[in-house]
Amino acid sequence: MAKNGRLTTAVFCLFLAGLLIWHAALPDRARSETENRTLAQFPQFSWENLKDGSFTAGMEDYFADQFPLRDDWTGLKARCEQLLGKRSFHDVYLCGNTLISRVEEPDDAQVKKNLSYVNEFAGMADGQVLLGLIPSAAEVWKDRLPAGAPSFDQPAFLEKAAEETGLPAVDLLGALAAHAGEPIYYRTDHHWTSLGAFYGANALLNALGKEPLKEDDFTPQIASTDFNGTLYSTSGVHWLTPDTIEYWVPEDGLRVTTWKSGKAEPGQLYDRSYLEHKDKYSSFLGGNQPLCVIQNPEITDGSKLLLIRDSYSDSLAPFLARRFSEVHLIDLRYYHASPAEYMAEQGIDTVVVLYSVANFISDRNLVYLGR
Amino acid sequence: MAFKYNNFTEKEGEQPMRFSSLPFLFGFLPITLTVYFAVPTRWRNLVLLLTSLIFYGWGEPVYIGIMGLSILIDYTHGMLVEKYRSRDKLARWFVAESMILNLSLLGFFKYWDFFAANLSLIPGISISALGLPLPIGISFFTFQTMSYTIDVYRQDAPAQRSIVSFGAYVTMFPQLVAGPIVRYKDVAAELIQRTNTASAFAAGARRFTVGLAKKVLLANSIGALWDAELAAQSAGTLTVFGGWLGIAAYGFQIYFDFSGYSDMAIGMGQMLGFHFPENFDYPYTAASVTEFWRRWHISLTTWFREYLYIPLGGSRKGTWRTVRNIFIVWFCTGFWHGASWNFILWGLHFFVWLMLEKYLLREFLQKLPMWLRHGYTLLVVFAGWGVFAMEDLTVCGQYFRTCFGGGTLWSAADGYYLTAYGLTLAILAVGSTHWVKNGWNRLPERARDVLGPVLMLAGLVVCTAYLVDGSYNPFLYFRF
Repeated sequence: MAKNGRLTTAVFCLFLAGLLIWHAALPDRARSETENRTLAQFPQFSWENLKDGSFTAGMEDYFADQFPLRDDWTGLKARCEQLLGKRSFHDVYLCGNTLISRVEEPDDAQVKKNLSYVNEFAGMADGQVLLGLIPSAAEVWKDRLPAGAPSFDQPAFLEKAAEETGLPAVDLLGALAAHAGEPIYYRTDHHWTSLGAFYGANALLNALGKEPLKEDDFTPQIASTDFNGTLYSTSGVHWLTPDTIEYWVPEDGLRVTTWKSGKAEPGQLYDRSYLEHKDKYSSFLGGNQPLCVIQNPEITDGSKLLLIRDSYSDSLAPFLARRFSEVHLIDLRYYHASPAEYMAEQGIDTVVVLYSVANFISDRNLVYLGR
Repeated sequence: MAFKYNNFTEKEGEQPMRFSSLPFLFGFLPITLTVYFAVPTRWRNLVLLLTSLIFYGWGEPVYIGIMGLSILIDYTHGMLVEKYRSRDKLARWFVAESMILNLSLLGFFKYWDFFAANLSLIPGISISALGLPLPIGISFFTFQTMSYTIDVYRQDAPAQRSIVSFGAYVTMFPQLVAGPIVRYKDVAAELIQRTNTASAFAAGARRFTVGLAKKVLLANSIGALWDAELAAQSAGTLTVFGGWLGIAAYGFQIYFDFSGYSDMAIGMGQMLGFHFPENFDYPYTAASVTEFWRRWHISLTTWFREYLYIPLGGSRKGTWRTVRNIFIVWFCTGFWHGASWNFILWGLHFFVWLMLEKYLLREFLQKLPMWLRHGYTLLVVFAGWGVFAMEDLTVCGQYFRTCFGGGTLWSAADGYYLTAYGLTLAILAVGSTHWVKNGWNRLPERARDVLGPVLMLAGLVVCTAYLVDGSYNPFLYFRF
């Protein structure tokens, strides 16, 4: 028994002390690619900080964020939970080889406000205004969700939005649902794939009375076969096959201008430097930016389109550039001037407010629509 | 998460240190144990006191003062009681004074807002709430210090001359935050002298790991099911089945959470050389409500029996007095758990059932088959948890209305929750019985010698994974 006591004691002490020493010895990381955020650093010490508890709270964050092998521990937890029968990991459902993000019930007040901002904008804008709400995989692929799994009723919301705004809706749900059997969403990311964006583009072109695109006209290029997206990060499920990113629309001929740095600079349709990092989806148009314009000199009818959008439009816009001489993209997270004025200045007569359902119901930046 | 038994009120940025946290497991604990065993024996109480004060002050340093005040009050009163032992009336006065001071501290910080809100309902009276954050563990340490003065008076233990040792008794971090409530006489001898062996340390380490696993792997997981069902209630989608499933989840959560904490406390006590009393004895295997309360939160019921029930006269002064005394004890038991009417109701719920069992149902129950007795007990106990779980009585009422037929019977979501949590619930049910312990004891000793450290290590690894993921916080750039 005494021998047993010593072994157990040794194992216990070595485990705790070992991780403590490893933690202290490991250099601090500034950022986590997997989690896409900066990691807490050692907090500043002062008597005030100690008294009001911010020093100790900072220590707790620092301790957790700089823990050795942080990403591997989270993968282990997800595996254990999966073995116990759990199917939802940090609000992401595991459905075989696919991760589907759960859409939460929104704050009704925010939804009402957002719809009212759209109405205000429709009143101010001088031209055709459409509302496009992109359903997520939780709706289009709802047969893949675990039986009975709760998720927000997206079709009901789409109907309500159409009623409350009275704007012509773009039937994205119909377009995507018709192709539900195809890989129209990524398996490890919440965005739609280029194939999904293609169908979305056609739904939009249909609503705008333009000629749809033909699948045969494209030769998709494989940009990466090692894409682990946002849902890979959120859920902690790290064992699924990575996604493939395709570029459909050829870059040559199109001219991209980006306001990423705050002033107009030449941009790229596909910023391949992002393919070296985890966040590969941002290679479409180079990721987050307040304003971006794609010009297609081959189209000479002077047609211009404005998209007030979220990140789904990054993979959509290249398709639209095949039918419009200019496609303007405004992201209200970063662009806070008046979109209506922008439209008037640029002589744009067609605008689509195009958001994914999940973003639209929770976005706080739509207030800028009404400016 | 803040949990009822710990009575935390966490303000922004102020987080007490929890056992089930990374800074504790891989910072405070290894460092404290190292220092404790490195110093000579005579300094160990001091080390214990200082490290416990650091533990206590983590996140809420101001309240170390309250702890210090409580220590001073009872240290001096213990000495005074012993000094004036020959003058009984004076000694009793000092006991009473210590109790008044301790209860005032407790009453002020924990119950002021409750009294203010309820008294203000009387027309003409308007007392404002103070919104004071609750000093951690105040419900536990005030009861412990009160037990000291009374034990000294009753001559169950000599007064502690060293304020360091007395301070160590009060602040001892293993049991400071969530018990067990350690009566002074139980550790009086060990405060002065304790033995430390590898096998005691190992037993403590194993016990600690079991408690950690119960809390982190089981209690926290099933707690998510309770949260989901409660959310369904406010969304209006709760079903009858879902309502009871939620209550079952809560009942398991609170048992594994609380008994897990007690296991960790007892385990750490063993590592340091102390023997704390057991706090739980497989309560869900009880065959009557009376038996349940001999198995649940034993240190609290013992405290109330020794220091409230027996001084009031116990059962020695006739039926009316007995019922009155039991009523007072159960009112206080409920009230001790929280400054809210649902806790009082919960205490009185048990008062009613205990009285029924004592005076009416005893023979009837003994004639029933065992499974029916267990079923009846669990029904009464878990229904009680439903009241305990919801402080807002309107929400509580609505929840129970759904449970008793106010909603649909079953929905697809219930099927989902069953698949997601079914195995966990089965593990919890088995873990609530003696089967695991019996199965373990049936293994040959050599197998246990090998398996023990292996399972402990596996438990520590998986718990660490769960704790690291608890802080897993990816920035969802697409939703802000």
